[in-house]
Amino acid sequence: MDKLAKQLKADAALIDVQVSDELDRRITASLQGVIPEKPELPAKQPRPAAFWWASSLTGVAAALVVIAIINAQSQPGKDPVVQVAETSPVPEVITPIIDWKTESAMLTRPLQQELEDLQSDLKKAEEKVKRNIGL
Amino acid sequence: MNDELQLINAAKAGSADAFADLVKLYRVRLLRFLLTRCSSFADAEDVLQDTMIAAYRYLHSYDPRWRFSTWLYRIAIRNAQKVRSENVVEFSDLSDAESDPLLHCIAQSETENLWVSARRVLNDDVFAATWLRYAEDMSISDISKALDRSDSWTKVNLLRARKTLDTEMNRKSTGSKAYG
Repeated sequence: MDKLAKQLKADAALIDVQVSDELDRRITASLQGVIPEKPELPAKQPRPAAFWWASSLTGVAAALVVIAIINAQSQPGKDPVVQVAETSPVPEVITPIIDWKTESAMLTRPLQQELEDLQSDLKKAEEKVKRNIGL
Repeated sequence: MNDELQLINAAKAGSADAFADLVKLYRVRLLRFLLTRCSSFADAEDVLQDTMIAAYRYLHSYDPRWRFSTWLYRIAIRNAQKVRSENVVEFSDLSDAESDPLLHCIAQSETENLWVSARRVLNDDVFAATWLRYAEDMSISDISKALDRSDSWTKVNLLRARKTLDTEMNRKSTGSKAYG
């Protein structure tokens, strides 16, 4: 430290200052009454129109990239091999043979006439059965 | 320094007592500085009080990359400027110990105090820079921050102030030898 700096330092120390009790009380009292300010949160800024344009274009570009990748991966001329899931063997159902004792109807006339004949045959058969069982 | 940081954090959390303890470290130094910038002792005390209140109120804006003293001095300098602009008193008008608060705080035998001369021959900002450099041992960048000036401004003006004060000191020592 040179002579001037030493002199300035020494002379500053010679300025005899004391904080009076009254000033101390004043400062303390005023500090008690002060409410420190809180840091302000940055206000939410509305997004500019360019942001929406940019995000839309980004979305479209991403979709195009995905489509291009899918197209590039599929090779023309080769059908994709589809894996078929193995099925568990189902036991064969054995249908019992029933002797229905039926006759096939031979349709020789129009359907309405055939229906009426069949109904008449059915009625006759019903009466015959009733007679047989004694009703 | 760690104690200081703890006090700052406690004060930031809302403890006025922690802040009061914190400013106890600086209030005498600040008042001594303010006496060189205010036209009365009462003004210096008022500026000190306002500085403490402003510092506590806006403590959330304190950037820990700065020294706390730098931040405090910056507030004090601004407050002193406000008071100075309200009470238009030139230091050249304060010629005796009764009216000049700085002379009032210097013993009669020390009236050749170099700071009294510095205040007369240097302008306000250069005086403040010189004080912060030689009385407070602040770095060039801290002084620049406290005064809101560039580093180059601070360097150049400190150099000029040194030359002026060197001349003043030599003149005084020559004068005292001649008369004494």
